[in-house]
Amino acid sequence: MKSANQIQQSNVQSFLGKMPTIFKWVSFLSVLLLPVIAMAAGAETKAMSVEYRDVPGIGSRNLVWIVAQQHLLLAGFVLGVPIFAWVCELVGWKTKEARYDKLAKEFTKLLTSAYATTALFGGILLFLLIGLYPKLMAYLTDMFFPSFLVYCLLFLLETATLYMYWYGWDYMQGNKKAFHLFLGFLLNLFALGIMAVPNSWATFQASPVVVGDGDAWARAWMAMQNPTWMPVNIHRLIANVVLGGFIVGAYAGIRYLLAVSQEEREHYDWMGYVGNFIGVFGMLPLPFAGYWLMREVYQYNQQMGITLMGGFLAWLFILQAMLIGVLFLGANYYFWMGITYRIPGSENSYKKPIMAMLVVLLLCLGVWMTPHSLVASLAEAQKMGGTHHPLLGVFGVMSAKMTVSNLMILVTFMSFIMYWRAGKQETAGWAKAAKAIMGALLVVGGVAVIVLGVWGYFVPAIIRINYFSVAQVLIVLFIMVTFTPLTALLMKSAKTTTEMVWGKMPIRAGYSLVLNAVMVILLMSLMGYARSSSRVHWHIYGVMRDTSDYAFSPALGYAAAFMSLNTFVYCLLVAFIFWVATLGDKAKSQQTKVVDVPGGAPLMAGGAPSTAENIESGVLENHK
Amino acid sequence: MSEVALLQIIGLCVVGTGILILLFIKGMFLRVIGFVAMVLGTFSLIALGVPQMASLPPAIETFDLAEVKSPDDLAAIGQKIFFSKGQCALCHSIGPSESSRCPDLNGIGAKLAPEFIYESLTQPQAYIYLDFRHGTKPEEYPARMPHIDKDPIGLTKPEIFSVIAFLQKMSGEPISIKVEDIMESEDKKPEAMKVASISDSVSVPAERAVAP
Repeated sequence: MKSANQIQQSNVQSFLGKMPTIFKWVSFLSVLLLPVIAMAAGAETKAMSVEYRDVPGIGSRNLVWIVAQQHLLLAGFVLGVPIFAWVCELVGWKTKEARYDKLAKEFTKLLTSAYATTALFGGILLFLLIGLYPKLMAYLTDMFFPSFLVYCLLFLLETATLYMYWYGWDYMQGNKKAFHLFLGFLLNLFALGIMAVPNSWATFQASPVVVGDGDAWARAWMAMQNPTWMPVNIHRLIANVVLGGFIVGAYAGIRYLLAVSQEEREHYDWMGYVGNFIGVFGMLPLPFAGYWLMREVYQYNQQMGITLMGGFLAWLFILQAMLIGVLFLGANYYFWMGITYRIPGSENSYKKPIMAMLVVLLLCLGVWMTPHSLVASLAEAQKMGGTHHPLLGVFGVMSAKMTVSNLMILVTFMSFIMYWRAGKQETAGWAKAAKAIMGALLVVGGVAVIVLGVWGYFVPAIIRINYFSVAQVLIVLFIMVTFTPLTALLMKSAKTTTEMVWGKMPIRAGYSLVLNAVMVILLMSLMGYARSSSRVHWHIYGVMRDTSDYAFSPALGYAAAFMSLNTFVYCLLVAFIFWVATLGDKAKSQQTKVVDVPGGAPLMAGGAPSTAENIESGVLENHK
Repeated sequence: MSEVALLQIIGLCVVGTGILILLFIKGMFLRVIGFVAMVLGTFSLIALGVPQMASLPPAIETFDLAEVKSPDDLAAIGQKIFFSKGQCALCHSIGPSESSRCPDLNGIGAKLAPEFIYESLTQPQAYIYLDFRHGTKPEEYPARMPHIDKDPIGLTKPEIFSVIAFLQKMSGEPISIKVEDIMESEDKKPEAMKVASISDSVSVPAERAVAP
């Protein structure tokens, strides 16, 4: 085994050897981006004569749709992964468990390989927009030019930080770890800015504000502060974590399916679990953020809200409910499989609760998917006395949908708690009382959510929207923030009755992870179409009309086919990127002999297999 | 064959291919691809099964001031401008609103002289209304009124007069703006105004939404 000094020396050499690559990348991106900005600045004069250009065959809008979708999905992954990679690294540093550090590094490896492709698609998108929509781009450039410069600066800082963070990983261990964590923090800070700045351009298109006098910076700042900017920032931030988590989960799922050794199976089983956990963790508050965004849309312009929820996009929300429902079912199913296969002996004790949860989830999904009005023939409509079904019609309204979405979140949260507690016996003297309190809270909370939902039918809409729905959300949040620390305290002193067994999950676990990722990608594509279509025939709502041949919003079926195509292309692209990223590992694994160390200790809701590789890498030694 | 039928056939083929891959191919990665294709095809088929509505843009209305015959015609044009090119409705409400970012314009045409309204539109900082809605210390409204006759909105004089006529009519006030005044203003031959209101988009069954 190498000494710590030798390892450190070789790490320094490897880091220094890679430094020119960092600067090459940064310089390359600077050279790539700055002329683009300069072109954008000059676009105003060139755009005087041409308002639109078209692309024969595919059409300008479809081409922009594909490229923008690929860029946004890749960007979602690239901005979401650093958040949990950094948290994972922080956990590893605090608990001194090398496997978390290794996992964080693996996340970051996927990130670095996706980063350049994201930038590439961003560049292509910008060129296409300048070329195909010169009039719109001239307007946006005039309004936002200072923010373009800020974006460039943030991009350069993010790039430099990412390469230092990634290439300096092994070098910055031991007492340099704190600095590495600081780099991770900066990485996330810049990523937040990179997400927020372009969000302001897109949200300005949907909810523009009148910009008063002032210099260019003041005007850009005024335009950025439009009503939907902050809700979209929050919604996207959480959604990026969800996307990142489920994509990592799918990656682990596929690697699990392709694994040839037991060690690989154990590792990717654990990674799949962590990916699914991160996805679910982000998914729980996501509907609340979505609710806030819709409230802001309604407050900004009721017509836009009606177009979304009750106009030609109304059926879109039925599809959304279906996708979210499948996602909830997939995530829960994976948890339940974890209880059954990773914790032998637990399947019998949890059979009934799992069945009850499945029934509740399916009932809730049924309510959520009930349309407000049915597609009916004239005769059927006359029989029903309208397009509302006499019995099921009551489920087609927001009061019912808000109630079931909260209940589904509660059930999913309880699946997680159940998984966490499986295979352990509480030893604390106050365990019984704590469990009784939690049980009572769950029952009271669930009943209160239902009561508020039913009561919502009998009060004016404004009371329901402003008070009842908010109260439902707060009840669920309260249960989550009460249960989590209580369970953590209970588990701290709990006795493990059954050791967690990794790498024994059936093949369908891998498929369910892939399914979850596909659902999230489709959901993001669907809601992107909704946001874009809510502007109807305006590039900038109420300000700049779309006068091109593509000013109409396509029907849902056509759009869904396009979303499916985009999702398929994205999946292939990500698979290719990850395949390239792991080529090095395959070569390395042929050279390095890895010895299994059995019995990774179960941590919060699941332990992990440990490998000698962690110890050999010097990570543990450096922690001492 | 309609576009929907064609897409349905493609969707069925994709699902079928996915099933065939899962049935006959052993390679795990290809099987995952088949599974994903099956899921995506099914999603498309479901989406094609719901009512297909497309949103068509409304026709662009063109107004020629030379054709304006009465003050009511002028107010009608002003109303269109108010909700479109003028962007007034982005911040102002007509009637009380808790969330509007600028003063309520309900009845404003009766309260204020047209000259004052004209000054408010072209010299917005000359006299600033404060927000008294919240019962505490009056404060400035969140949004700052732009010069309506300058970029990016850039209304012409006849367009501003039309908006004032609309505000007067909306307030139940006789319209004091005369058609002759507009024709004599310094923009004697303004370009034809193209306006369309925000809420004018038309939803139609997809069959009528013909792609160019």
